[in-house]
Amino acid sequence: MSKRDSQALIPHLLRRAGFGATPVELEYYQSKGYDKTLDELLHPDRAANDALDDLIAAQNFDFTRVEDLKRWWLFRMCFTKRPLEEKLALFWHGHFATSNKKVNNPYAMYQQNLTFRKYGMGPFSDLLLGVSKDPAMIVWLDNQQNRKGSPNENYAREIMELFSLGIGNYSENDIKEGAKAFTGWQTKNSTFFFNSTQHDSSVKNFLGKSGDLNGDDVVQIVSSQPAASQFIARKLVAFFVADNPDQGMVDDLAAVYIKENGNTRSVLKALFTHPIFMNDKAFHAKIKSPSELVVGTIKTLQVKNLDGDLTASMSRMGQSLFEPPSVKGWDGGHAWISTNTMMERFNLATRITQQKFDALEGYISPSQMVANQGLTNARGMVDYFVNLLVDGDIPEPAKTELIKYVSSDISGKSVAAIPDDKLLDAKLRGLVHLIMTMPTYQLS
Amino acid sequence: MSISRRNFLKAGLGAVSVTLGGTHFLTLAAQAANFDPRRVGKSKILVTIQLAGGNDGINTVIPYGVGEYYHVRPQINIPEKDVLPLTGQIGLHPSMIGMSDLYKAGKVGIILGAGYPQPNRSHFRSIEIWQTADPNKIIETGWLGRYLDLAKGQGGDADYPLPAVNVDSSLPKTLSATQVVVPSVANVYDFKFATDQHYQQDRKYQLSIFNEAYSKFDENSPSIDLLKKVGIDSVEAADYLLKVVQNYKSDVSYPDTGFGKGMKFIAQMITAGVKSQIYNISLGGFDTHAGQKGAQANLLKQLSEGITAFQKDLEAHHVDGDVMVMTFSEFGRRVAENGGRGTDHGTAEPLFIVGSGVKGGLYGEYPSLTNLDNGDLKFNVDFRTVYSTVLDRWLKADSHQILGANYENIKFV
Repeated sequence: MSKRDSQALIPHLLRRAGFGATPVELEYYQSKGYDKTLDELLHPDRAANDALDDLIAAQNFDFTRVEDLKRWWLFRMCFTKRPLEEKLALFWHGHFATSNKKVNNPYAMYQQNLTFRKYGMGPFSDLLLGVSKDPAMIVWLDNQQNRKGSPNENYAREIMELFSLGIGNYSENDIKEGAKAFTGWQTKNSTFFFNSTQHDSSVKNFLGKSGDLNGDDVVQIVSSQPAASQFIARKLVAFFVADNPDQGMVDDLAAVYIKENGNTRSVLKALFTHPIFMNDKAFHAKIKSPSELVVGTIKTLQVKNLDGDLTASMSRMGQSLFEPPSVKGWDGGHAWISTNTMMERFNLATRITQQKFDALEGYISPSQMVANQGLTNARGMVDYFVNLLVDGDIPEPAKTELIKYVSSDISGKSVAAIPDDKLLDAKLRGLVHLIMTMPTYQLS
Repeated sequence: MSISRRNFLKAGLGAVSVTLGGTHFLTLAAQAANFDPRRVGKSKILVTIQLAGGNDGINTVIPYGVGEYYHVRPQINIPEKDVLPLTGQIGLHPSMIGMSDLYKAGKVGIILGAGYPQPNRSHFRSIEIWQTADPNKIIETGWLGRYLDLAKGQGGDADYPLPAVNVDSSLPKTLSATQVVVPSVANVYDFKFATDQHYQQDRKYQLSIFNEAYSKFDENSPSIDLLKKVGIDSVEAADYLLKVVQNYKSDVSYPDTGFGKGMKFIAQMITAGVKSQIYNISLGGFDTHAGQKGAQANLLKQLSEGITAFQKDLEAHHVDGDVMVMTFSEFGRRVAENGGRGTDHGTAEPLFIVGSGVKGGLYGEYPSLTNLDNGDLKFNVDFRTVYSTVLDRWLKADSHQILGANYENIKFV
């Protein structure tokens, strides 16, 4: 591995296992080294998070409002000391994609999010059982209406198609039988409630097993299918490594899943130390999700003041937290990019870079940033921001264009002297804006 | 500030020369400058409306004359007195008053029992089948994407910028193509390259640097290639579409819903002479496993009112003869209701074809409610015969090339 690769490895890990890093965090993790950094990420409880807890407490979020819930999560993503905890919660949210648009109960969505955190790194079957009993899920996939004698197949279908096995690994009859096993799994007073009068206790034939199976049995049966190890491994690789997973890597992780009884922490450790993850080809090879783009920007530029419109901007980019588009979650990869969402990405750059009513506190001040670096020429400034924002990944001729931009007045005329600090500030804001619109800024 | 301006300039400027203005804007700007109202008889336009979630066709086109209907749907049936009759046996949902009027005027064709063999009941696989027109294997391009690919380079409207527009934030596979990038524009007013309000004069130069810098990226990876194309297209299309909207005048009022606004935006583009042949829009929420009655009534009302206003608007602008609307959904729903006053995933569904150039009426047979396949309707019109009709007779394309086989045409055009 080349020198550039090994230096780039920790930022790469932090982008994938988290949402990027502030310059201070980056220094901290660089000094620890790769293995110890990964170890800390995989054991979130080892990193103190008091500052985040205080910050969250000070916001007085109202968890019955979905807008507050979104901001709660954005704050966590931006200011946590446990980045993988947040990233993995986002993975499971996309995997067990539940939308408040139907559940219409933000507090239940909040509880579901806590379930992702509680079981997210442990055995997959524990998580799947927790989700099967989760009130928001029960409403979302209509299990409340799944009764003895008149089954509702929605949950039984999706637990196999989207949550554990993937299409082709079960029959329509397994769905009908699985639905019977989940009859009576309801929610009451915001908790799980087993309604025995609505439970069908007949013998079911499900994926080769038969008996008076209930939901617990279904969860155990599906979690231990070889298809589940492949399915979960593939989804983790697609989320953390590459949009088109390498089958060899999926097989390696599926083997860990089977050996470690579906323990997600073990699978993730194998993932982040896999040669394919650490290979140069994985660098900047994924398109940033809207949350990665927004949170990464906040962290890199050290914005402290999180405007109310950031979560709305993420929605317009195609990722509305707690409101995924369907039970399949977000497709990710190239699906993030359309003219509409691209324009929103460009306009996030404007939002972040333009000066807010002459207030500087909590917002960015690019001219202060270059002053802190002691930079005095256009190339130095462009190099500084290109390294900071896109790890230097902009072709030289494009950089030349950016230097041209900084070295000219507001109408684009090359100038012999920048007339005042105000203009310099404008040009540097424009520069950061332009870098954030570049193709490589969209890559993780 | 601690920067010495003199040093900054000395070190930074060198022999940099500045070129103003990219070339990317020219094509669209030229088109925008000469609004050329579309002449009747030029290439035809298709608007597809995806009813996302799987619309319950049985409560949309209701077999109120069939006793079995009331028997299998004791809770969620539509009483006979409320149905808007099409024949003595079947009729429309009471929310669809506008569609019923258009039907009476001969402008609506209804395809009954559309589907495909060995139906898939997964939302995601089944919608992909409808979008790609291939039930047998997973393919990358959509049926209309392949149409656009073939039409490109033929000197027709497909060669203009914006060969198609998707009025939604993400591109459906229907419009996925290999030669053409179809823009997605959910809200035209948010669709603008914004720059720092404090320095508005800088915008033009920033845009020119944006274009120049973008052109310097190698297309050495599929992601960079995509980002580059979409990035440049977005900026180019934005200014143009805003002008289109600003030039539109109409007395027709659209329902104040996302879908209504989207239909209005499509009418704005068509009446302004945007040379897109294909528009796509979706209306979601049809996955009515529980509490179906109110939810579906509301959605069908939105659908009917949006289509009705759109048709009226096109008629007022004398372009109605050029435009055809087609609805589709990933599947219909189970014949018998479930335990939650809803319906589970099913199979065959009715499609609506609307327009002044459409031969109104019913096509195909209403599927039997008793002769079922595992509780589901048996389809009797292959959806690809609908597509082939649209391709051959409306868009004047070669459906065989696009669908990979010959399908008979239906007489709705």
